[in-house]
Amino acid sequence: MFRFQKEQEIVNIAGVKVGGQPGELPTVLAGTIFYNKHEIVEDAAKGLFDKQKAEKVLNLQENASDETKNPQMVHIYGTTPESICRYIDFVAEVSDAPFLIDSSEGQVRAHAARYVSEIGLSDRAVYNSINMSISESELKALAESELDSSIILGFNAMDSSLQGRMAMLEEGANLLDRGLLSIAEECGIVNKLIDPSITPLGDGAGVALRMTLTAKAKWGHPTGSGIHNAPSAWSWLQKKKEKDPLLYKICDIGSTCLQQAAAGDFILYGPIENAPYIFPMAAMGDIMIAEAVRDLGIEPSTKHPFNVLV
Amino acid sequence: MKRLAENWPLLKGDYTIGEPTSRLAVVTLASELKASPEAAIWGSAKTENLGVEKLVVNVISNSNIRYVLVCGTESRGHLAGHSLLALHANGIDAKGRIIASEGAIPFIENISNEAIKRFQRQVSMLDRIGLIEPEKIQKIVEKYKALGEPYPEEPMLACPPKKRPNPSLIEGPVQGDILISKDFVMDAASGLICSTCEKEY
Repeated sequence: MFRFQKEQEIVNIAGVKVGGQPGELPTVLAGTIFYNKHEIVEDAAKGLFDKQKAEKVLNLQENASDETKNPQMVHIYGTTPESICRYIDFVAEVSDAPFLIDSSEGQVRAHAARYVSEIGLSDRAVYNSINMSISESELKALAESELDSSIILGFNAMDSSLQGRMAMLEEGANLLDRGLLSIAEECGIVNKLIDPSITPLGDGAGVALRMTLTAKAKWGHPTGSGIHNAPSAWSWLQKKKEKDPLLYKICDIGSTCLQQAAAGDFILYGPIENAPYIFPMAAMGDIMIAEAVRDLGIEPSTKHPFNVLV
Repeated sequence: MKRLAENWPLLKGDYTIGEPTSRLAVVTLASELKASPEAAIWGSAKTENLGVEKLVVNVISNSNIRYVLVCGTESRGHLAGHSLLALHANGIDAKGRIIASEGAIPFIENISNEAIKRFQRQVSMLDRIGLIEPEKIQKIVEKYKALGEPYPEEPMLACPPKKRPNPSLIEGPVQGDILISKDFVMDAASGLICSTCEKEY
């Protein structure tokens, strides 16, 4: 293992600390709720869902976090302005954890940014994400919001190489007139969480791991990803899943450790139901990394799994 | 004349192969619908960039295909179906952006303009976005599966360049910014691990 020469930033989002040198802080884990085809969702457009089941899965993650001491965030996914507001209301009421607001549609993300500002929850929210598709209206909504935390996505549709992804953040890679880091600053984002963007296997999933190292070495911002999207988008594995669901689960959950070994500070691990498996897996990774860097002058935090579970 | 590339379909993906001599390819966008064995290829496409690229590569490498049925539920935000139709109608601009696509990130990175033009010439698009009823889709399959002649050119191979040698390979030791041990450092940008010599942190 290793330590970065560059000072590593630690940000505090509603009490959850993210970032630092490898082995310093436990990996922050965010499970997704209300995702596409989530069985608890009854009407994705209106945001109707089974509240009992939703509370149960939130508790599942909270209990796992309590046990391993890996901090948690709730990754909220909504497809309409109406649904995402309902989801935010519910999660904010049931859980104290910070939450990510996410949608594949910019107008929904923008609406959510305005909404959390109106109801006084902006300090608990993380915008997901500032990326190369950001429109002027989304940018305006984000700038006018009180949000100060956002994921910044290193996706470059025209150049998925390491250089292409870094350029997207730094100067817009000839596709934007400025880099996404500058755009984030213009929008008042203080807590910049870099996501190198997990593209499918064969299309640069591995490059994202390299970019985790490079981004931390260059900027020192907390960096992490939704690495489970690599096995999830792997057609070969999806076909295997039909015969052996356990095989898929092993790859899905095991991918966590790859991002940790590449110095990831946070992981968006996908369906929140996987919390009982993800948290122990991540705790194991954290312990090994903490052990490996002790002679590099890195002390694990008091509540690190290294100091709690072994 | 050869009408089917060896090892067709060239790119792996979330699809089912039916009858390769069929004139019809079916893309079900974000819907998972039971495949008809009478279509040449049948699969989903959820993204406006990589998903669209894969479809184009697999269609133009089979000259039997003359129609692409775009059906199923559109993927929200990504608008893969809309982007595919826009690519066929308008092509891409100088930056690789699909002209008039409203998808989130509608950029074509891995296939050439020549491949896109071949796609435009070879196939006609059947825009049935939103259609998910199996019996209605089957009727379209039956109507188009043997309609017309194969495209009068050999299959075009337009694989994405992921197997190209990396043009930015870096040689030799460089300065490191990640400390591994007293004697070795890693340079994050190049990925090289090298000796520190007298370098101190």
